[in-house]
Amino acid sequence: MKVPVSWLSEYVPLPMPLADLAERLAVAAAEVERVTRRGVPDVEGNLGRFVVGKVVEAGRHPNADRLQLCRVDTGDPEPRQIVCGAWNFGAGATVAVATPGAILPDGRKLERAKLRGEVSDGMILAEDEVELGPDHGGIMLLDDALAAGTPVVDVLPIADHVLEIELTGNRPDLLSVYGLAREIAALYDLGLAPLPGADPPRVGDEPVPIEIDDPVGCPRYIGRLFRGCAIGPSPTWLRARLVASGMRPISNVVDVTNYVMLALGSPLHAFDHARLAGGRIGVRRARPGERIALDGNDRSSSRPTSLITDGERAVALAAIMGGLDSEVGDETVDVLLEAASFEPHGILASSERLGLRSEASNRWEKGVDPHLAGAAATLASELIVELAGGRFVGHGESCAELPARPVTTLRPARVDALVGTAIPPAEQAAILRRLGFEVDDARAPWRVTTPTWRARDVTREIDLVEEVARVHGLERVPFTLPARREMFGRLDQAQRLRRLVEDVLVGQGLYEAYTWTLVARDEDERALRLESPLTADHAILRTTLADGLVGAARHNVDAGNREIGLFEIARVYLPDADGGALPDERWHAGGIVEGGFSRAKGVVEAVLSALHVEASFPRASRPFLHPGKSAEVAVGAGAAGWVGELHPLRLDGGWGIFELDLATLFAGVPERRVYEDVVTFPAVRQDLAFVVAEEVAAGDLVASAREAAGPELAEIDVFDVYRGGQLEPGTKSVAFAVAFRSPERTLSDEDARVLRERIVAALAERHGATLRS
Amino acid sequence: MRVRYLGRNAELPQALRQVRDRETGMTLNALRQRLEQAVSDRQDALAAAELERRLREDVVDVTLPGRPAPRGRLHPITQIRREIEDVFLGLGYEIVDGREVETTYYNFTALNFPEWHPARSPLASLFIDDDTMLRTETSPAQIHTMESRQPPVFMVSLGRTYRRDTQDATHSPIFHQVEGLAVAPGLTLADLKGTLLYLMRALFGEERQVRFRTHYFPFTEPSLEPDVSCFLCDGAGCSVCRHSGWIEMGGSGMVDPNVFANVGYDPEQVSGFAFGLGLERIAMLRHGLPDIRLLWENDIRVLSQF
Repeated sequence: MKVPVSWLSEYVPLPMPLADLAERLAVAAAEVERVTRRGVPDVEGNLGRFVVGKVVEAGRHPNADRLQLCRVDTGDPEPRQIVCGAWNFGAGATVAVATPGAILPDGRKLERAKLRGEVSDGMILAEDEVELGPDHGGIMLLDDALAAGTPVVDVLPIADHVLEIELTGNRPDLLSVYGLAREIAALYDLGLAPLPGADPPRVGDEPVPIEIDDPVGCPRYIGRLFRGCAIGPSPTWLRARLVASGMRPISNVVDVTNYVMLALGSPLHAFDHARLAGGRIGVRRARPGERIALDGNDRSSSRPTSLITDGERAVALAAIMGGLDSEVGDETVDVLLEAASFEPHGILASSERLGLRSEASNRWEKGVDPHLAGAAATLASELIVELAGGRFVGHGESCAELPARPVTTLRPARVDALVGTAIPPAEQAAILRRLGFEVDDARAPWRVTTPTWRARDVTREIDLVEEVARVHGLERVPFTLPARREMFGRLDQAQRLRRLVEDVLVGQGLYEAYTWTLVARDEDERALRLESPLTADHAILRTTLADGLVGAARHNVDAGNREIGLFEIARVYLPDADGGALPDERWHAGGIVEGGFSRAKGVVEAVLSALHVEASFPRASRPFLHPGKSAEVAVGAGAAGWVGELHPLRLDGGWGIFELDLATLFAGVPERRVYEDVVTFPAVRQDLAFVVAEEVAAGDLVASAREAAGPELAEIDVFDVYRGGQLEPGTKSVAFAVAFRSPERTLSDEDARVLRERIVAALAERHGATLRS
Repeated sequence: MRVRYLGRNAELPQALRQVRDRETGMTLNALRQRLEQAVSDRQDALAAAELERRLREDVVDVTLPGRPAPRGRLHPITQIRREIEDVFLGLGYEIVDGREVETTYYNFTALNFPEWHPARSPLASLFIDDDTMLRTETSPAQIHTMESRQPPVFMVSLGRTYRRDTQDATHSPIFHQVEGLAVAPGLTLADLKGTLLYLMRALFGEERQVRFRTHYFPFTEPSLEPDVSCFLCDGAGCSVCRHSGWIEMGGSGMVDPNVFANVGYDPEQVSGFAFGLGLERIAMLRHGLPDIRLLWENDIRVLSQF
């Protein structure tokens, strides 16, 4: 919302610097996004160079058909000669003049100049030249009652500031110049002007029939009839206020409705009375699919919208927009003014659905004080009579009972208990009274009555606590820390282990990636799908991290990066097995690395080792993996994930990739690790190499060796696989480093020999392995 | 030299072997020890000189890089996540990881969002069906926690949240929030102010100031927005703080009594405060990141900087 300071100061004195006001409003009431300057700079007597002038003579410029040569009385001893390009005035007109030396809004300094051979000792101003409006069609014509030489700034806001305010949804009472003035008056304890406007005398008694069939959506409707209006442009002062507030001037009657909305916060609408076919006003719910012509486009209304009708057809979408057929235009003579009260529910949804957000709907959807309709009708009536010369000839009103003002109890001690301050009760009462609350503080708890403009927002004791706290000053609340008797400051096991896994993966040389939860497709056909996704690429809740990681790796390849290794620890969303709506959300750790299967498996093994989890790697495949280089990661009886080499069609270059289910891994983490004596009795270390057929898996050899040798085989690690040389084709040599150790005694060479023989025999028998000498 | 004077056939050993009287023996032995010591000292000196010479010649270009070890990094959001977790662990809070797919009851209704609130619109949030959605903040975890036990509660939840925002330099439909909740007898707005001051100083430096502006959120009353004094210009005004000296940091307030009623807590017995901040915003401010999308591209040229 844009609020011109010149307008605001009509309702409340503003003795404080604007920066202070902006800060106080931001802290205590509503965010002030910025304060902007409008019009001419207020520097070094500049404002004094803009004065009211009386055109004494006006005639054609001797050397230019399109220019006028004028003599203008600006209060100086001699009239000034001024050359002017506009023709919408003549001798006798009252105009605004910038005299030489004046600095214009764009910073340009006006000089005495010769134009086509004639001296021009100043400039007669059009409204756009001082940022009062968009018009450059002619110069501004001022009230003839003004004396020559009067500073223009006394009658028009040619130098102004605008507060740009962002309101929160709970404060629609601030959505007007008067409402903001009321708040400033309360914050600074200043006097507030009475509501503007006084009803003009009614000069007729014509009926204005109003039928409300939707008292919930529209509890109140005031209709007023004005005959004999002359539609034309609004005066400069009104246009200037609309423009500075961010609205476009249209014509006097329409401008008056917008002006009153900005001034008081209650939107109005003006109908061309002659175009209301039935001559009456009705308010009812829309029928499904009913169509109405609004802004040239046919809009199909649907369920919850309220309509205004003329007794025969719909003429406006209540609270959102008036119809094209009945709007006030240049030929309008008789005006029906609507000052109503619409309830907020459904207005936001309707205006969004129809794509019609307006200044009016923005106010109605937040909730307008229903008591405001009368004041709005009064101010608008006064201005329509004054500016359009209309005769006020009819008044009709249909009103359900206006809502009662909420009455709340307040314990002053409760304020201090919740805020952590000691605000004297008398000060609390004074704050509430300044805000318009009635406070009965004869005994605690107090009875507090909310003013009509806060009735939707302040209905409970806690709401009053907020009012006292913010006006007393949030900056006056001290900084303390809670006193504690119970503490919860520790990570749970899963959180601690997740950090460990992150650290291990970083230690393995992987960068942590964050990829999107929402994906274009997923291997699980039952994966959850958004009802209405942002884009088709982000429609499905993933069940695997693999796609995101491949995408991230591809991005790095495309960027020309090298030695790419990435991991991600995030949720996947497995559809509920029992068909419930909420998925099983599981933390997964996934990674993608250059260096193929073995590098990926090495990373997985590092994670397993850090967690002290034993796993096996049975061969298993997935569609997006290299069929010969992929395995399941089996922990205990279950699958904890997979590791493999990415299928080259997904991303070329030999990428190792893995994904682990962390809960499954963590379930296998031993609760406590018990010391094993590896110090007292040293191990006997040997290297053993076996020749086996190509298809024999090293893992099977290890398993057989362990089974054959028993617990005294403390370690067995593959350190080399060799093919070729003297080996027969179709065979390979697998070399193991083994360590024999007993916790009870030092093993002798003989003990080691016996163990080795058992291994050799078992591998020969089960796998056809022969020991290489 | 050693062989010549101390060798098997040298003069001194010969003489020692022929010694008969104690006096001469002691003298000759002392002489032999002195000679042996002198030889040994000389050998050590020569060896030391030789080592010294070899080391002097064994020179490397110390400006060459070291042998590279694989090197990874935690994502900047994880780094900030851990930092905030550690601050609150130190303050005695627990970390609660809530669900990301939630019911509208936990995401909105229990948090006192009115039926007409714009966040409930499919234009603002991402829905799976009428009753199921991606959480718009991590606060639903607070409801689950309060439902599951009696006060006191001191918790923070950090994680992914979702809103229907089109991606641009400062918006992403997926982002990360930290939301915190404290509920105990006698907690005050002053406690909220002190807690957020502590957090802001931990994140942005001990000199930081925090101010609070009144605001509106459905789940808190009073509601406040915290601002931290600009850590770049120290309040003088710069482009980061939009020349205000203050940077907006999120939302906070005293827990609305309706929220307590929804979980069966008695607002006459306990009070509480809640707050929420965006992790991307903190990361962008701290690292001067110009575009939020950099945090989702996973370019190791970017990730390796943090």
